Amino acid sequence: MTKGEWCMWGGGIAVLLLARPVAAQGGPAAPGFRAPVLSQSDTGKLKGPRQPIFFRHDIHAGQDRIPCMYCHYSAAISSEPGIPSVQTCIGCHQIINGTTDSHRAEITKIRSAWRDRSPPEWIRVYAVPDFVHFPHMRHIKVLGTDAASCANCHGEVAKQPRIYQVATLKMGWCVRCHVQRKVTQDCTACHF
Amino acid sequence: MTDAMNRRRFLKILGVTGGGAAALSGCGIGPEPTQRLLPYLVAPDDQIPGVATWYATTCRECAAGCGLRARVREGRAVKLEGNPDSPVNRGRLCARGQAGLQGLYNPDRITGPRLRGANGQLAETTWDKAIQLLAQKVADAKGKGIVFVTGHETGAFGDLVDEWMRAVGGRRIAFESFALEALREGNRLAFGTAAVPHYDFAAAKYIVSFGADFMETWLSPVEFQNAFTRAHAFAAGADSSMAKYVYVGPRLSLTGLSADEWIAAAPGTEGLLALAMAQVIVSRRLARSPADATRLGPSLAAHAPDKVAAQIGVDAKTIERLAREFAASGGGLAVAGGVAAQAANGAEIVAAVNILNYVAGAVGRTVQFGPDLTQDAAGSYRQLAALRGDMAGGKVAVLLVHGANPAHADAAFAQALGKVLFKVSFSSDPDETARAADLVLPDLHPLEQWNDARPRAGVYALQQPVMAPVFPGTMHAGDAILRAAGRTGTFKDYLQTAWRDVHRRHGGGKSFEEFWTAALAHGGVYTEIATRSVRLGPGAIAAMGEAAPPFAEGDATAVVFPHPALHDGRGANKPWLQELPDPVSKITWHGWAEVHPETAGKWGVVNGDVVLLKSEAGEVRAPVWITPTVRPRVVAVPTGQGHVAYGRYAAGRSFNAFDLLPGEPNRAGGRTFVVAVKVTKTAEHVFLATTEGNAREHGHGIVNVLPLAQAQRLRPGKHVFEAEETPAYARGAEEGWAEAQREMAALGGYAGTHPRWAMAIDLSRCTGCSACVTACYAENNLATVGEELVRRHREMSWIRIERYFTGGKDGESLHAVTTPMLCQQCGNAPCEPVCPVFAAYHTPDGLNGQIYNRCIGTRYCSNNCPYKVRYFNWFNYAEPGGEFEAWPEPLQLLLNPDVTVREKGVMEKCTFCVQRIRGKQNEARLADRRLDDAELQFLPACAQGCPSEAIVFGDLNDPRSRVRQLSDNPRGYHVLAGLNTRPAIAYLAKVTAPSGGAA
Repeated sequence: MTKGEWCMWGGGIAVLLLARPVAAQGGPAAPGFRAPVLSQSDTGKLKGPRQPIFFRHDIHAGQDRIPCMYCHYSAAISSEPGIPSVQTCIGCHQIINGTTDSHRAEITKIRSAWRDRSPPEWIRVYAVPDFVHFPHMRHIKVLGTDAASCANCHGEVAKQPRIYQVATLKMGWCVRCHVQRKVTQDCTACHF
Repeated sequence: MTDAMNRRRFLKILGVTGGGAAALSGCGIGPEPTQRLLPYLVAPDDQIPGVATWYATTCRECAAGCGLRARVREGRAVKLEGNPDSPVNRGRLCARGQAGLQGLYNPDRITGPRLRGANGQLAETTWDKAIQLLAQKVADAKGKGIVFVTGHETGAFGDLVDEWMRAVGGRRIAFESFALEALREGNRLAFGTAAVPHYDFAAAKYIVSFGADFMETWLSPVEFQNAFTRAHAFAAGADSSMAKYVYVGPRLSLTGLSADEWIAAAPGTEGLLALAMAQVIVSRRLARSPADATRLGPSLAAHAPDKVAAQIGVDAKTIERLAREFAASGGGLAVAGGVAAQAANGAEIVAAVNILNYVAGAVGRTVQFGPDLTQDAAGSYRQLAALRGDMAGGKVAVLLVHGANPAHADAAFAQALGKVLFKVSFSSDPDETARAADLVLPDLHPLEQWNDARPRAGVYALQQPVMAPVFPGTMHAGDAILRAAGRTGTFKDYLQTAWRDVHRRHGGGKSFEEFWTAALAHGGVYTEIATRSVRLGPGAIAAMGEAAPPFAEGDATAVVFPHPALHDGRGANKPWLQELPDPVSKITWHGWAEVHPETAGKWGVVNGDVVLLKSEAGEVRAPVWITPTVRPRVVAVPTGQGHVAYGRYAAGRSFNAFDLLPGEPNRAGGRTFVVAVKVTKTAEHVFLATTEGNAREHGHGIVNVLPLAQAQRLRPGKHVFEAEETPAYARGAEEGWAEAQREMAALGGYAGTHPRWAMAIDLSRCTGCSACVTACYAENNLATVGEELVRRHREMSWIRIERYFTGGKDGESLHAVTTPMLCQQCGNAPCEPVCPVFAAYHTPDGLNGQIYNRCIGTRYCSNNCPYKVRYFNWFNYAEPGGEFEAWPEPLQLLLNPDVTVREKGVMEKCTFCVQRIRGKQNEARLADRRLDDAELQFLPACAQGCPSEAIVFGDLNDPRSRVRQLSDNPRGYHVLAGLNTRPAIAYLAKVTAPSGGAA
């Protein structure tokens, strides 16, 4: 077994074991939250850009209560939250096939991406311009790593079938929070 | 590194973070374009998006073998810094080392193997075909002459080439344009060993350089500069002393700028001067000379100062004084090299300087044989000349070239190339030699490959790939050779096999894997080598008879010297180095000819007039730069320019000074770089792109110089320059300002305790080398603007080195002072109140912030800045395909993602690397600790790189910080303090040892 395979299987097993106890620490979705079953016609009404794979945060973060930090592990230590590698997805989806045809169709996509070594090109939802340097880790240091903390800026991701931008991400929105919390309002905190 | 990364993927991953790489949308107005996020297939273990990973490796820009740490973000190297573990450069790096990145991402690199087709053009081919052809051609040529030319290789790659050449019946020669043959030959003459010793500048108490440009290109410039400043800087320590430094040579080089005294000896007479000094020391018994030095006495007598003074052009009294000072210091160090050792009698000059060291008792103390530099690996010009003869005579069937560009350095070699049936180049740059080749097998850049170097005995420096190849079509030359030789394994295996030997000797009981991992982390293995003693050899006395130059000083003598940044031309296709003003002349993007004002008057030329220099070997047309830093009747011209190929920044620029040089090796086996020339004025004129404002400072208080005696009398708390602070007429204004500050501090983020970021710059350490300038270009995404815009003074150099001359009139000796000029982060900044949009404002931690996205480009701030350290974007330098594009693909990959790429119409400036400050603050906050002064001292890129440790950064509000202590130094002063700008930068006045007879 190569190192890569070991991580994949080990990671997959770990998340299955850990998902419930860790998620019990708290989150916007109550235990027993069921993500809605969506038909093809429903997806057209969803907010946010259509993604190459209909990845459902409401199933993963909501129903299955996987902690945000399981996939976006670098948010606590880096300015970048990181997009999980395909390996992370396959860690679970090696064994999880999905329960409905539409789920199975989407899971097949990520498996093909793994097999063909061609990662999906996600459409970026949250972006700030290049002249803004947003340090994720400083915010998580203060707010915490649970879903409720992330919800401060990203909304109730655990209930979003498709991710959409809930905050304007404009400077006034940033500054309002900084004023309320009496933290730095210096321009060079973000602009350099 | 992930081996599963190809170029396409590598570029895609950049999209994950966007950052500086997506330069276009920099300060764009309107909706952001749809961005795509590309996840890794498998996340690499050692990379976290947004967090830098550092890899230790070795710099290969010259043979010094400095240790590097490459900062890698999202799989691409974005900054190079010195490796503090390396005993060579101790964490410091020169401008050429910084610019290694521009070689890595050079837009003109050859991206894959090329074969000359039937139509005579180089066309793409595959590696399989190329290597098969190479193996076949080499096999066919057995017995008909196979020669492999490499650069200065001191490690496993050289060994591999040697093995291969032995197996196929060929030979290897090394070619280095400045191979310092005379240094080795001179040591052989004097001591019977051609080894190049370790020169302990740090321990010296009196340093005389006979033309050795040890701070720019000579042997190990960063190491020597660092050690030199330890000895030469004035630290008001226990003994308040400093080593005096004398520079001897017809031209004041960058290394000479720091000199306390410049002796402009006639070209080629440096050896006579050294012998005359030795004569004084021996005949007056001024030093405890080794016993066998007495037998030199009779031969030295012929070189008594009064007998040779006229020929040297220095009076006998001065020679005697220098000898007395040198001996009395009790720690003299004389070094010879550079221009001096490149005259026809170079070896004898070196031998004479060796004799001076010997009789003064310096050999074994400041000159240490044992930890020798591996200079023998540089080859010699004699070997190249012999090869050229063989080529012209049809005795070379296959010529292979790696890491050298002899076709640029030697016109006759370029011609002889035509007689070689099959020429192979391993260059990944389209240089002159590669252009003439039949097969080009582009090597990986040193930052992409495994290799090693042994710059001196006891230092085993490792090179590891810091990122996946920028061009996947390139291949490690070692791998290509292994395949062509029919051997199995990769070059990495070969290297590891070689390192098993190092492990056996220095493993210290660790397993090889542990040893290897530790060596990779530290950048190599560093061991101490015992010194050994040497005695004067039989050749010493004979050499003394040959010390006089074999030529008389004619009407014009050309001295060809290596360009401090472009070196022999290898740096010419790197825009950072092209745009870096030469530390002496301040000229960018062009070559020049240094002419003394007296001589210029005689020739009737002004700055920029092109003169035709004609030697026996060839001619060049060079624009004149009139300067007092050169001896009358000497014309000094730099190498580096005049490429006919090599890439967009190098080709067709200026002249090639190598054309002046004779093709025949001199007695030492080296090339002669001092030649007689005929000078003719032409009608041409060149508008030189110079950044020099005024050669003199006219008492503005930009630089201050203290004589040593006065500096020694300084007491803590008493500022000598106090009188300059707050003139009486400004007191009222200052009180009003202080009151306003108190009021403002009560508001918002300004209340509470904040650091006040500050800097202290010690001018007694600054040598003017300009490493800080290139470090700033690298860290802060500064655009290079090109020759035309530099002429219009639109360069973007946030930090510049200003060079001022003092003295030199009415018989006074000429001195130079260099000072880094960057934003002073004024406490009472003139730029701030004039900004109509608050883009220029004061941060709570004392910086003059510049918010690019606020800036509307009125340029009022720049107009109001008395230091002229604000820079305006006149064009969109980041625009792909734009007229003044600074980062053509893939050069944009070196952009620092932590710093915004500025757009047209935006003012920009130094903010003490605020991104690094914020990074450190983030780091400390995550670990719940306070920032420590030790981690701040060299935080900004300029301070980090400075080889002399002249720049110190820190918090002025912390009474224990180093910057606070330095700022309180009595030598401290503020530039233009009378304007009440309250700068955060304290300069410490330069201290000079007495140059006249006052010692």
